[in-house]
Amino acid sequence: MSYAISGECCSDASCVAVCPMNSIHPSPGEPGFGTGVSLFIDPRTCIDCGACADICPVDAAQPADQAATEDVERNAEYFAGQEPLEATDLDSWEPPSYQVWGGGPRRVLVVGAGPAGMYATRELLLRTTAEVTLVDRLDQVGGLVRYGVAPDHPSTKQIVQVFERILHHRRVRWMPGTDARELPGVAAGGSSGARRGPVDGFDAVIHAVGARRSRRLGIPGEDAACTAEDFVAWYNGRPGAVAPAELAGPRAVIVGNGNVALDVARILLSDERRLRGMDAPLDVKRRLAASGIKEVVLLGRRGPQDAAYTESALQELRSAVGDRVQLRHHARPTAWTSEGLTLDSGESIAAGNLFTAVGFEGRPIDGLPFDPDRGIVPNVRGAVVDRPGHYVAGWIKRGARGGIGVNKACAQETVLTLVSSSRVPASPGS
Amino acid sequence: MDDTAQRLLGSATRLSRDPETEIDWHAPIGDGFGMSPEWSTLYGTPYWDELTEAQQRELTRHESASVATTGIWFELILQQLVLRDVYDKPPRSAEFQWALTEIADECRHSIMFARATERMVEPSYRPRLLTRELGRMFKTVATGESAYAAILVAEEVLDVMQRDWMRDRRVEPLVRQVNHIHVVEESRHMVFAREETRERLAGAGRGRRWVSALVIAIAADTIVSSMVGREVYANVGLDADRAVREARRNEHHRSLLRTSCANLMDFLGSVGLLTPAASRVYRRTGLL
Ligand SMILES: Cc1cc2nc3c(=O)[nH]c(=O)nc-3n(C[C@H](O)[C@H](O)[C@H](O)COP(=O)(O)OP(=O)(O)OC[C@H]3O[C@@H](n4cnc5c(N)ncnc54)[C@H](O)[C@@H]3O)c2cc1C
Ligand code: SF4
Ligand code: SF4
Repeated sequence: MSYAISGECCSDASCVAVCPMNSIHPSPGEPGFGTGVSLFIDPRTCIDCGACADICPVDAAQPADQAATEDVERNAEYFAGQEPLEATDLDSWEPPSYQVWGGGPRRVLVVGAGPAGMYATRELLLRTTAEVTLVDRLDQVGGLVRYGVAPDHPSTKQIVQVFERILHHRRVRWMPGTDARELPGVAAGGSSGARRGPVDGFDAVIHAVGARRSRRLGIPGEDAACTAEDFVAWYNGRPGAVAPAELAGPRAVIVGNGNVALDVARILLSDERRLRGMDAPLDVKRRLAASGIKEVVLLGRRGPQDAAYTESALQELRSAVGDRVQLRHHARPTAWTSEGLTLDSGESIAAGNLFTAVGFEGRPIDGLPFDPDRGIVPNVRGAVVDRPGHYVAGWIKRGARGGIGVNKACAQETVLTLVSSSRVPASPGS
Repeated sequence: MDDTAQRLLGSATRLSRDPETEIDWHAPIGDGFGMSPEWSTLYGTPYWDELTEAQQRELTRHESASVATTGIWFELILQQLVLRDVYDKPPRSAEFQWALTEIADECRHSIMFARATERMVEPSYRPRLLTRELGRMFKTVATGESAYAAILVAEEVLDVMQRDWMRDRRVEPLVRQVNHIHVVEESRHMVFAREETRERLAGAGRGRRWVSALVIAIAADTIVSSMVGREVYANVGLDADRAVREARRNEHHRSLLRTSCANLMDFLGSVGLLTPAASRVYRRTGLL
């Protein structure tokens, strides 16, 4: 027996740090970490101590006899062709790395209470003695975990509980329902956009505002389609989300080849049992049940080997909806009308709705530089270029890639950059 | 609970380590660090920078021996707590058998730490008399979640340090090996202690939770503050007053402790043991 990690894993690497046998990979720093969405356990070296399962915030690590067979196989497969690591040879482990306390900032403003902002806050509490002011324009913490992650993935959403506990720390001042652009001093740009130095009253600002705006296809008729941004916000009950115009069966087309496209397909095709178990608003469930959508066509521009979705997400979709989802590759849409979607081959797919899930991009932040091609704020290890005192973390720093937990290492890097820019002795001496 | 205990027993069959045979106790000792220098209570202070590298190395060897001794002291308490707790349990249950396995592990660990410190440094360390007396009281009266969560706190604080030291190539090989043995077996103990704590707390009222939380926090404070005492500095030939003063204000050390205890604090928070009173104690100790 051994333990195995399921597709619900958000790769925050908490388990790596507690495994006494170095059985969990890829670990932060190893190739492959942060690109897929899951980590894996090597069944040849795992000794079943259960420490990984105990620490996992989303219950993704499980004893193999309780996990799905596919998950157990996926874990074993990841290590096929590699020599097992001998944990008692301590030189096969990554050496520890240390961050030296740097005196640090006294007051930090963190904008955005999504994963990146929450991990950054946690890291600041651990590494410094700073007081952290945390703002989000929404009333709740979690960002896309609350309003993006699909409602039939309740375990993944559990990480929100970890975030909520951070709010209770004495050095955190939580200001829900606050748009940073309305804070005096942060409404930085606007004027000249050439601000230098941090915001008044703070030694540093970490912008962790995410990137939830859907990319556009750029085809005629697209305005009548439903973007992933709007659709996931709607089915997650985000305040102020707009409902899609009308859900019309029997067929829907989704353009996109990532996990979000697969989420949308799964939700659209959810049967009654699945809908009942979902933590979604009643009206959402009712409309989904009444939609009459029986079939989904997923379109990818390139071949299956280039698809951005993960193997486990595809497996899950297949087992949830069977052959009611059709995967089409090498297909480029050229126009959308009420009749259906036209492809570059001239073919037309009749459908009642078009959904676009071709990625997300960030928006420019007032007063900070912006790289429109990558949809990010240009930065060096989290420090915004040419704006001392301003830092970024999460999707606005790296682009809209990577699962929830990847933002942990990302936020840690940013805080390290922030702290090491102000180094003093760790004790004042005597 | 029996399911967890059963799994842990299975795990112990898969890998249990015997320091007696696995460690070559006659191999010569080199001049490596006793712990990662970054873990020294003085690292990052002006005093640390004044020391020669040889002095720094010697200091870490003494600190490491002192920490190990605190480990032994706590393992003694732990053995008694566990023994008292399973006294009335049926011997055939997995929980009972696992508890005795744990005691056997702790027993071997204590001997292992004792031998290793004997090889590493000349003087022998012990927690202060007052601390020992507090421990004596604790092991006679503590029950339920206070007992198990205190075990957890002690072992977890030790565990995170040892995980770093065992991977650090600058640290003396004997220490690295000893630490890995401890880390492997301790990870099972911590799983068990968490499970017991959760179970005992289910249905506990607010009053009891408040008291338990405080007792655990005070235990944590006692353990952490008795890890490295002034005689360590004196034995290395340092100005003990100055060393104690700088160590106490060492923000680098505090941030290292805070980071290492983050999982532990998460756990205590999730089971409702981070009450305001307990949090105050953890903040003072530097764990929160
Ligand atoms: C549809 C979807 C499904 C996903 N599913 C999964 C999954 O199953 N598993 C997984 O591991 N990952 C998943 N991800 C990825 C994961 O959600 C992201 O990695 C993560 O949310 C990025 O974190 P972030 O903090 O950078 O951004 P966000 O989560 O977007 O957080 C940004 C926060 O900033 C706030 N904000 C923005 N502007 C302002 C402002 N001006 N003032 C104040 N506050 C502001 C927002 O309200 C938000 O709370 C999914 C992503 C999407 C889009
Ligand atoms: S979610 Fe985190 S702790 Fe859980 S299995 Fe994945 S990486 Fe490990
Ligand atoms: S059960 Fe223990 S040994 Fe196995 S992967 Fe999890 S933590 Fe590592």
